[in-house]
Amino acid sequence: MLIRIRGREGSVLRKALSVLRFAFVLVLLFAAASQSFVPVTVAESSEDEATSALATAEGAVVSAYQAVSGAEEAGANVSGLLVRLNEAGEFLARARMAYRVDDFESAFDSAVQCQEKLNGFVVEANVLRETAIQERYMDFLVNVVGSVVGAVAVVCGGLVSWFFLKRKYDKTGSVAK
Amino acid sequence: MSFQEYRVLFLAATGILTLLVASPAVSRLLVPPRTEFFTELWILDSNRKADDYPFNLTRNQDYSVFLGIGNRLGYCAYYFVEVKFRNQTQPAPTSFGPLANRTPSSLPALFNITAFVADETVWETPLTFSFDYGYNEILSRVEFYSLTLNNVKVDMDDYAITWDSEKGGFFGYMFFELWIFDAAASSFRYHERFVDLRFNMTVY
Repeated sequence: MLIRIRGREGSVLRKALSVLRFAFVLVLLFAAASQSFVPVTVAESSEDEATSALATAEGAVVSAYQAVSGAEEAGANVSGLLVRLNEAGEFLARARMAYRVDDFESAFDSAVQCQEKLNGFVVEANVLRETAIQERYMDFLVNVVGSVVGAVAVVCGGLVSWFFLKRKYDKTGSVAK
Repeated sequence: MSFQEYRVLFLAATGILTLLVASPAVSRLLVPPRTEFFTELWILDSNRKADDYPFNLTRNQDYSVFLGIGNRLGYCAYYFVEVKFRNQTQPAPTSFGPLANRTPSSLPALFNITAFVADETVWETPLTFSFDYGYNEILSRVEFYSLTLNNVKVDMDDYAITWDSEKGGFFGYMFFELWIFDAAASSFRYHERFVDLRFNMTVY
């Protein structure tokens, strides 16, 4: 059925139809363009995420390494921490390799796993460091200060004993004479 | 025996007792200070010996070696090993001569390994690898497709080895450059040493 509208209403309707047609064409164009833009945008965001995760993981590993170095320097046994740090390092190496070949998803996953391995690591290392410092202090007190004081006491005790025995001997000797 | 004659005996007994009591402190003074600080880097064969290294390689065949690092630097070290591959004409790293003249290879790394090693300890890891390659009869050279190292596949599209007519083979070198984290610079620097494995890529 064809309805003909003439006059002022007709021109308004034609204008509305042309706007609709234009809008429809725009929507089609946008939909077509978005097909090619979306993967690029996703790839860029994936690359950004991987870059950021990798940088964070590298920073976390360096902080953990510095904490372990401090603990080791204080004399702590850091073998357990180093096992964890090496595991984290393995993830970091994987992340770097994946990033190098543009496998950003794997790079991101490995970087996140690296960070997870190091959760609470610095705190643990600092606790070990503090404990080691205290043990070292006690060890110094007992083994160095204690033994030096002990040696001085033995020498002084020897001298006192010597003079005491000598005096006693002199007395008994003079009585005997 | 007069009292004065006991003097020597008394002094000796006191001296020995003093040394015994002071021995924990004295023992610390008598330890000679470390004067040599260095890192060891090695590769061992699959039996952990320096005896039966893989040499004649077959395409896609797995081979195993052990890579080891010994830390004698006096502190816990953060190492980074770059695994690279080169043919006879490509640049090799250097590990002899003055330290300043030792340089890494300019080739890109195919694989990397991170290791944290405490002072006076060693670290060792197994490496299983295989090469996928083919023989290009027209150019008369071996062309590589990929390296699989510890289950990680790496593209080797730009790698090729030409026939060495003098020694009779397609010779390639997989080498391991050692880098160390420099805390002051907050970056890695070449640690002036590397180890390598020489291969003959068999094609038939």
